[in-house]
Amino acid sequence: MTRRVVILNTDIDAVVCSIERSQTLPADLEMADLEIYASYQRLLENEDLSTPLAAILALTEMMERSNAGTMFELLNELKGGAEALSRQSSNPIGLNAGCELFIEFITLFPHDAATFSDLKTELIQQGRQYAEQALTYRTKIAELAFDFIKDDSVILTHSYSRVVLQTLLMAHKRKRISVFVTEARPRGMGIKTAEKLTAVGIPCTVVLDSAVAYAIEKVDFVLMGSEAVVESGGLVNAVGSNQIAIIAKAANKPFYALAESYKFHRMFPLSQYDLPSHNPRLLSFPQSLNSTRRSSFGRRASESASTPIKITQEDIAQNNPDVDYTRPDLISLVFSDVGSLTPEGVSQYLVGMFAG
Amino acid sequence: MSSSREGAGGADGSADGPKSRGLRIFSHFGLPKTPGHQIKGDIHPAIIKLGLQFSEFKICGANARCIATLTAFKTVIQDYVTPPHNTLSRHLMTHLSPQITHLVNARPMSVTMGNAIRQLKLEISDSDIDLPEQDAKDELCQKIDNYIRDRIIIADEVIEDLAVKKIKEGDVVLTYARSSLVEKILLRAHSQNKHFSVIVIDSRPLLEGKTLLHSLTSTIPPIPCTYALLPALPSLITDADVVLLGAHSLHANGSVYSRAGTAMVAMLAKEHSVPVMLCCETYKFSETVMLDGFGKNELAPVKFSPGAPKSNSNLEVLNPLYDSTPASCITAVVTEVGLIPPTSISSIPLALGRTTL
Amino acid sequence: MASDPQSAANQRIVEDLVSRLRRRQVVGSRATALETLLVLRQVISKARFSNIDQLTDVIRSVGRRLVEAQPKEHSVGNTVRKVLHHIREEYHTASGPPAVESSFSIAKFVLQGQPRRQTVIPKSEARVPLKENDPDDPDSFARVLKPVLMEAIQDVFDELETVYDNIAKNAKDHIHSDEIILTLGMSKTVQSFLKSAAHYRNYTVIVAETAPSFGGREMAKSLSSAGISTFLVPDSSIYALMSRVNKVILGAHAILANGGMFATSGSLLAATAARSYSTPVVVCAGQFKLTPLWNLYHEYGALDFGDPSAVLGFEEGDLVDKVDVVNPYYDYVRPELLDVFITNYGDHPPSSIYRLLKETYDDEDNEL
Repeated sequence: MTRRVVILNTDIDAVVCSIERSQTLPADLEMADLEIYASYQRLLENEDLSTPLAAILALTEMMERSNAGTMFELLNELKGGAEALSRQSSNPIGLNAGCELFIEFITLFPHDAATFSDLKTELIQQGRQYAEQALTYRTKIAELAFDFIKDDSVILTHSYSRVVLQTLLMAHKRKRISVFVTEARPRGMGIKTAEKLTAVGIPCTVVLDSAVAYAIEKVDFVLMGSEAVVESGGLVNAVGSNQIAIIAKAANKPFYALAESYKFHRMFPLSQYDLPSHNPRLLSFPQSLNSTRRSSFGRRASESASTPIKITQEDIAQNNPDVDYTRPDLISLVFSDVGSLTPEGVSQYLVGMFAG
Repeated sequence: MSSSREGAGGADGSADGPKSRGLRIFSHFGLPKTPGHQIKGDIHPAIIKLGLQFSEFKICGANARCIATLTAFKTVIQDYVTPPHNTLSRHLMTHLSPQITHLVNARPMSVTMGNAIRQLKLEISDSDIDLPEQDAKDELCQKIDNYIRDRIIIADEVIEDLAVKKIKEGDVVLTYARSSLVEKILLRAHSQNKHFSVIVIDSRPLLEGKTLLHSLTSTIPPIPCTYALLPALPSLITDADVVLLGAHSLHANGSVYSRAGTAMVAMLAKEHSVPVMLCCETYKFSETVMLDGFGKNELAPVKFSPGAPKSNSNLEVLNPLYDSTPASCITAVVTEVGLIPPTSISSIPLALGRTTL
Repeated sequence: MASDPQSAANQRIVEDLVSRLRRRQVVGSRATALETLLVLRQVISKARFSNIDQLTDVIRSVGRRLVEAQPKEHSVGNTVRKVLHHIREEYHTASGPPAVESSFSIAKFVLQGQPRRQTVIPKSEARVPLKENDPDDPDSFARVLKPVLMEAIQDVFDELETVYDNIAKNAKDHIHSDEIILTLGMSKTVQSFLKSAAHYRNYTVIVAETAPSFGGREMAKSLSSAGISTFLVPDSSIYALMSRVNKVILGAHAILANGGMFATSGSLLAATAARSYSTPVVVCAGQFKLTPLWNLYHEYGALDFGDPSAVLGFEEGDLVDKVDVVNPYYDYVRPELLDVFITNYGDHPPSSIYRLLKETYDDEDNEL
């Protein structure tokens, strides 16, 4: 079996995988890995598709190409494909959720079609249909959340989330709102949100990530998007969400998470470091200075300390996490296309879905 | 201090036989005696009059009671004649003691009265033996006037100056019942042409907030006011920018002994992150530690609950007048030495240049 | 739709209740629930329908009118939803298991996550085949279903009638000897709860008066006449006495989907004070008060304001036009401040109210 150590450049276009294997995999499986990842990347270029949906569509494309003759073979292929995707992504949570959902669905699908290829076609059809339908979920969620937005609300949001954006745009049509957006370094996605909001006329200000505590008293509530909602009822989202949740709790402001149902994931992280996106390199202290000291043992002392230390934004970005985990007791409500759920309700929901 | 009469629970006497456990645990509260009680000893008419006013609740509020008591004592001192073979500094106190007891019987003494009387005793015992009597008496009366002037009147003015700076233009100020000091602060802010509005929260038994309303709306132009009873507080606290409260006394652990209901106002304000300013002169500080509003309290007479059902062996009507607010709910205490956090009152004597309060 | 003579009769019954609700001649959760049930019973017995959708449409339109008449009385909407839920249940058991779903999509699979409905023992033992939309005999559907529905409605009636007894029957397990209980206002549910416990235990009750309605006075009188030692105190001393209180028992006007509740004004003060002393807060409420709505507490008007002259009467003459008076009737209490709901169907923590709602009502009825 493979052991995986993932060091991925944050620039998605340059896929650099370094995989240590104890056994070599057959060549065609390696090809299949790269193929599925390539189709996943291609699907992600569509702005509207989120990672779980892109994963589901990538799996359907894989099914199309597949030569499997029985259900068992097909499922194995799909599971392999899901694993491949997960290996090659630095932040596999979203796509894990989507893959799990799709594979579970296929497992429970009644196998009473005439021939296997009919069944396959049916499944591919289902996958595509779902992805289409899922694009309407954002509107559903926006409508649910709309009831909680009072006139003249001041809303705080974080980074860039399509579902939050849609909710705000919809609310703007019928009520007056103003929005604080955090900058969300290092990627600065919050600025993108602020630009889009200002373009339609919503009063919007970018807030420093470190100024959230300063601004929290002016805010009525916090709206947060999500990458995944996990078994504990907690939230996995862009790094900074946990901080904002803690500040909101201290200031007694409601914290609402918006999540489509395909983001519900059966993982149960025990802490920040229990997330699949965590690796030991994150937040580690640099080793380079010590090693150069050791190797320059022979040189004179004055020469070894000649080059000044320069830390670039790139270095910072690589050493810092992309996502964090927010505990369920900090979340007031989760708005989803299946209804408004309390964090306890989410876990009951997940059990119902995957245990049925 | 609360009167420690046991078993005086029922307003209609204790002729109903043994009371249940529940009714017993409240018996230490004690009820004020009805006026017209027996006058023991030789009580000065000014004191008798004062006693009646206290028991009828005609004079209400820590400052008012203290000033009235001290003023009455001035009259008593002036009318006092030292008996032969006695010195003023030793005998005056024994003369005053029954007067004080009479007042306490009318209504339990407030911390302010206690502090003032203690100070008075100190002054009396310090008075020069060689002074002629009238001079000694005049000196004492002067000291009493100074006390009132320095520790109440001028202190109030300094506190007003400090507190008014914290009321910003357009603020919504919330206050509870009627504190004489808060009233002065609001009127002073208004006289400086600041525009602000006031929410007055009130509660039975005394419904003192209405008096405050009258005085606030009698200004020209009237201050915009909202009035509501205590249960309505949660819907109004979100609009408030600052909460101003008065106190009966402030204790060594920072807890505030004040009109019943103050604790809930402070608690809700803290939950909604509204700053709570407690306005309190230093002469109200007490070195005792107060744990909760239960150990020491006072009941208002039943006449303050018109329409309430009559007490019987199973039902009792209680009107506790005070409660204790924990220090954690108060943001700042405004005193004449400045704004201090509630837990720092032990540093006050140092600030005042004294060894005790 | 029902034909014209029926609908005219229907109209009259419904309009009568609508106007009484609007004029607040019917107040109180249980009273309005009973009245609504009577109206619905009439409507169903007189209605003509040949399939399930027509029936639900009729009931929903009636429900909508009643709820619009008095949106603050949530038990009206709750009763309508409960009746609809029973109707659908009866219909499903009577018409046999539904045909196998031909379309099984991922979306439906995801929805499986919804809490399952409890399986109910079917009322109709004999499965008479249900013919919908039969062109020859349009009333056959109605004829078969109506008696079953009437039984179901009678069940809801019985539930409403016995709500106090059911809640009170376990009272002695919740109150122990020599405890001091704090309550406020006048709630018949709490009253029967406390009186029932008094048969077995000796304890003390502190009742807060709850100005300006002074419901607490009535409560104190009634409790003391039942032999419970009672103290009547003004609202201002709730915090002062809280250090000695063992439990706070409150009534509710409506229980919301997140586990919070609307209760008589003053309840939030008592619950907050109790929280600071870690005193448990117990709420006694019938299940008909469960409301599947979430965001009601955001509406300022949801508090239902009362007559300001009760707070500052006209005898204060010159103050009246210079001062704004606020007199809300209800408080919204957050679920974090409550410990348990004692209902006629058992005790529930606020976190499981959501699940209870899913079992009691159908999702499609949340918006009537």
